Amino acid sequence: MAKFILKRLAMLPLVLFGVTVLLFGLFNTLSPEMRASIYVKDPRQLAALDEVIRKYGLKDPFHKQYVRWIARVAKGDLGYSETAKMPVTEAIRSFFPATIELSVLAFIPIMVIGVWLGTLSAVYRDKWIDHFSRFVAITGYSLPSFVLGLLLLMVFYGMLKLFPPGRYSLASDLIINGGNYAAYTGMVTVDSLLNGRIGVFFDALKHLILPASSLTYITMALLVRITRSSMLEELGKDYVRTARAKGLPESVVINKHARRNAWIPVITIASILFVQLLGGVLITETVFAYPGIGRWVAQAAVQLDIPGVMGVALLTSTLFVLGNLVADILYAVVDPRIRFQ
Amino acid sequence: MSRFKFTFAIPLAAALFLSSGCGKKDSSSPAGGGKTASQSSKNKDTYVHVTISDIDSLDPAWSYDTASHMVIENLYEFLVAYKGGSITELEPQVAEKVPSIENGLLSPDGRTYTFPIRKGIKFHKGGEVTPEDVRYSLIRFMLFDRAGGPSSLLLEPVTGLDSTRKDGKPLDAAYDKAAAAVTVEGDAVVLKLHKPFAPMLTVLASWSPIVSKEWAVAGAGWDGTKETWKAHNNPEKTAEAFYDQENGSGPFLLERWDKKTKEVVLTRFDDYWRGPAKLKRAHIKGVDEFQTRKLMLAAGDADSIYADYLQQPLLKNLPGVELIDDLPRIDMNPSIYFVFDIETKGNPNVGSGKLDGKGVPADFFADVNVRKAFAHSFDYEGFIRDVNRGKGTRAVSFIPKGLFGFNPEQAHYEYDIAKAESYFKKAHGGKLWQNGFKFTLAYNAGNQPREVIANMIKRAVESINPKFQIDTRPIQWSTYLDMSNASKLPMFIMGWAPDFPDPHNFAFPFLHSNGNYPRLQRYKNAEADKLVTAAMTETDAEKRRAMYYRLQQIAYEDVPSLYILNSVLYRTQRSWVKGYVYNPIHPDSPYSCPLYYLSKE
Amino acid sequence: MRERLREFSAETWKRLKRRPLSLVGLGLILAFTSIAVLAPILAPPEPNSRDYYLIPQDGYSPDPVRPSREHVFGTTEQQFDLYYGIVWGTRTAFKIGVAVVLVSMLLGMVVGGIGGFYGGWVDETLMRFTDIVMALPSIILAVVIVTVRGPSLGNVIVALAAVSWPTYARLIRGDVLTVKQREFVLAARALGASDRRILIRHVIPNSIYPVLVVASLDTGAIVLSAAALSFLGLGAPVGYADWGQLIAMSRNWIIGASGSPLDYWHTVAFPGGAIFLFVLGWNLLGDAFRDILDPRQK
Repeated sequence: MAKFILKRLAMLPLVLFGVTVLLFGLFNTLSPEMRASIYVKDPRQLAALDEVIRKYGLKDPFHKQYVRWIARVAKGDLGYSETAKMPVTEAIRSFFPATIELSVLAFIPIMVIGVWLGTLSAVYRDKWIDHFSRFVAITGYSLPSFVLGLLLLMVFYGMLKLFPPGRYSLASDLIINGGNYAAYTGMVTVDSLLNGRIGVFFDALKHLILPASSLTYITMALLVRITRSSMLEELGKDYVRTARAKGLPESVVINKHARRNAWIPVITIASILFVQLLGGVLITETVFAYPGIGRWVAQAAVQLDIPGVMGVALLTSTLFVLGNLVADILYAVVDPRIRFQ
Repeated sequence: MSRFKFTFAIPLAAALFLSSGCGKKDSSSPAGGGKTASQSSKNKDTYVHVTISDIDSLDPAWSYDTASHMVIENLYEFLVAYKGGSITELEPQVAEKVPSIENGLLSPDGRTYTFPIRKGIKFHKGGEVTPEDVRYSLIRFMLFDRAGGPSSLLLEPVTGLDSTRKDGKPLDAAYDKAAAAVTVEGDAVVLKLHKPFAPMLTVLASWSPIVSKEWAVAGAGWDGTKETWKAHNNPEKTAEAFYDQENGSGPFLLERWDKKTKEVVLTRFDDYWRGPAKLKRAHIKGVDEFQTRKLMLAAGDADSIYADYLQQPLLKNLPGVELIDDLPRIDMNPSIYFVFDIETKGNPNVGSGKLDGKGVPADFFADVNVRKAFAHSFDYEGFIRDVNRGKGTRAVSFIPKGLFGFNPEQAHYEYDIAKAESYFKKAHGGKLWQNGFKFTLAYNAGNQPREVIANMIKRAVESINPKFQIDTRPIQWSTYLDMSNASKLPMFIMGWAPDFPDPHNFAFPFLHSNGNYPRLQRYKNAEADKLVTAAMTETDAEKRRAMYYRLQQIAYEDVPSLYILNSVLYRTQRSWVKGYVYNPIHPDSPYSCPLYYLSKE
Repeated sequence: MRERLREFSAETWKRLKRRPLSLVGLGLILAFTSIAVLAPILAPPEPNSRDYYLIPQDGYSPDPVRPSREHVFGTTEQQFDLYYGIVWGTRTAFKIGVAVVLVSMLLGMVVGGIGGFYGGWVDETLMRFTDIVMALPSIILAVVIVTVRGPSLGNVIVALAAVSWPTYARLIRGDVLTVKQREFVLAARALGASDRRILIRHVIPNSIYPVLVVASLDTGAIVLSAAALSFLGLGAPVGYADWGQLIAMSRNWIIGASGSPLDYWHTVAFPGGAIFLFVLGWNLLGDAFRDILDPRQK
């Protein structure tokens, strides 16, 4: 197993190399003038365009620019992001915890509600409850995240004034940046509890509820479907029929036998799903003005903030490879029949 | 200019808001965690300004954007400063007196300025401002010269060089000339320009931040010698301590700049030489979402916010909030520019590249009849009425109303389709009318007023002759920059905000062939070039005014660009904020202002 | 082949009928198809209009106006007529869906087919490349592609196809690997048929079928992604009939003036509703197909 893991980890540099060359190459199809646009925002700076191109070496051949970038990355310097207005490493450190916080908060209900609805669907196949849960799932799947987000904001923020956008309120801001507050993880919900600031905790939660529920609703469908179909498969198997024939109560059959096996694909999909969530927050974070990786990379990509996009690409593709690895390991762990190849 | 005194008055609209709002209590408390709005301020000593812009760098030699500069303006001091709301009257700041020919501190030839340096001004982190600090500050500002930065604003009038580099390499002459031009004589700093430069003092009022030399050297900055300046020329943004720390002498000192939460916190500097400010602390915070800014204002968590005219109706009926409306700006935004020699090679915007009805030739706009026809095809008043909610007035020349040299009687073009038609018929010997044309009118995506301008021109021009076709297209800023730089946009829309309030800062970018826009337009008028340079060095006000009148007439005859709007803005603040004085020249005015004069009730 | 298809269709129809929700889906798609076809009658363009997809504007005022007799769905920012935009936007949605599915399927077929058929280093190279494309969150890659190529409807299609093809490539590769081992292919090879002939005559026709089904079901998700790009300002030019853009325009108006927070509900509700129903239709249909194809649920 160790060998398998090592082999898969060895893939990581290859993937990272491929991803960065691909993105860098895409950006380099643009003229140097266009790539300089992130540094020349004001007509007053128009005359300095050539100077800017020279300063950042934007006219150099592709390989030279790439090597220069990668050499700096090797030294731990990911460059400066003009959209985040801070160095890329600092930006990742500040935005990533926010995204993790949001993803975890969405992930838990996705798992719980998704599996629950999926099981119900399978057990009461073609009954109204099946239709209902599938309808709930499929409407979520069909709603554009930004429409749901805007509607939620309209009702819960505009009308009821309950859940504002952003990450926390000014009152919390004053506490968090007031000096007597230690940032252990960068995640507000965790740090506030560690600092004994229960008010900040609830404030952060208040800001997380809308984006997290919107993510949950939209992502849940996949899990409902997988749980349902794998439960159905298990319920049709011989051992379940035997158990039923033995006269075991239906709840025992479902919970003890069928569900346990049906969980195998669910668990393995979960780790991939979590990584997907991290990438999928782009629109949700943008709508809710939530300062995470997704919102940042959306701005960075649109404004040609190349160091910013490259930094996020390194981060997300690493997570992707690791997430897949975890999925494979989990798969082998829960199902001993699988052998590593 | 006495016109600007009117701007201090709170206009009718704001007064109406004040009287209508006091009864109800706003029950909303979204951003404030349960607090409610009241008519007396929550925290008298702390001022909170919520805006949209990001701070780029706190280094006064690096930053060239309003967001950074509005902070810098409170941290650092300058040789001279604007008096209250005036854009012409200056008062001494670090200098003891404002040089003039009358007081003998400006030489009669207009080239030598002597600044006696005030004694007893303390830096935030210790030390007093010395003439050597001033000399160092001015030279550092000029030699720092980051690509796209403000250094040339001083460098050019002082040394005659427009850059410290040639082909990317630092020039020895840059240091030599700068060091020779700025010298210490006793308790004074003497500035010797290579040529007289009439707006020099207004430039210094915004671009002469005084820094502490000792502190600069300690913070990885330049040590002031000839041997090392090249290493500090055009540096990386974060290379020196100036990037996110300061040791200025302004009324506020930097408590922290949190890039993550986009917040700057300033604390009062108690040893400030004019006496400590009334406010103890100030938060300047970036919040992109208008609704959040609005709710913070309503809850009393913000004392002033950034809001544009699109958002104005949504600010109605907020109790305890005042809108100070119709504040005139000194800028020319937006304007429409014609390109005289369009680059037609590999250009998707010109169709066939010929005057055959399927495109436009390179010299399409070189014919003055075409430019005049377009000048008559834009509904200026309609634009102001519909898009700008009736705010602002029609611009008649490239010099904004209220600035020295502005000619209120200047002839200008009105929206007149019949006249446009007659010019189109005359253009290109009648061939244009016969064959028609087609080109793309691009604007930078996301800019709504420019989008509407493009569409209004399209509709008007296409209604004149069915063979006229204009495609309007939004393009990203990157493409816009690339294409306008290569003169590939037949016509483009951009704006201009000045570096200092002087007609030169409009005449040069709009009319001089080396100016920001004519360079892209490939427009050159020898008389204009000569006049712009002459007016720059002319020290006699009346002669100078006459030159700018002539330049405005040239702009009318040549029609290199269309001027649309003398724009206005409004300020949104809690009515408990006192002491606000509008001066359009402050960075990010009227949203922010020097905090020194503000207080809360 | 034809026999299999007919058998499959009959079976599909039988199963579809059993599930009322899938019939709803079918109904929605048919309804949208008729809207798209009848667009010139439902929302007649202005007489002098050169491009019917450009939404007529009633003035230039920035504030949206509520539904009225003249504008049944009201107008959004800058007085674009929502009803017109939604009707013609239906065509845009179909265009994007069909184009992206076709292009990405074709790309996937070429890459997966070649990889699976030839195996060895060709396969290895192609599959590693798919890995790389898949390692980036597709939305990020799509955003970069559209930004680099310039925002337009065409480039949205290019970008979405560029991020969607790996799924098809993998699917087809798997099928090709299976089909390759089947007797008739081995027999054809033994008889000396050329690679190309085997690939085109035998392998592809036998593996394409499941791909076609999957592809037809992908449409909903693709229209959602396209709308997301539009929402970020990376879609059709302003004023072009495109649902995503209409929703993006409503962003400034989620909260009305104080006292009447829902003043501008129509700016998001109508285009949002259109896109929701459209995608829902495809997904209901797709869900049913997926069940039918899922061998575990027979």
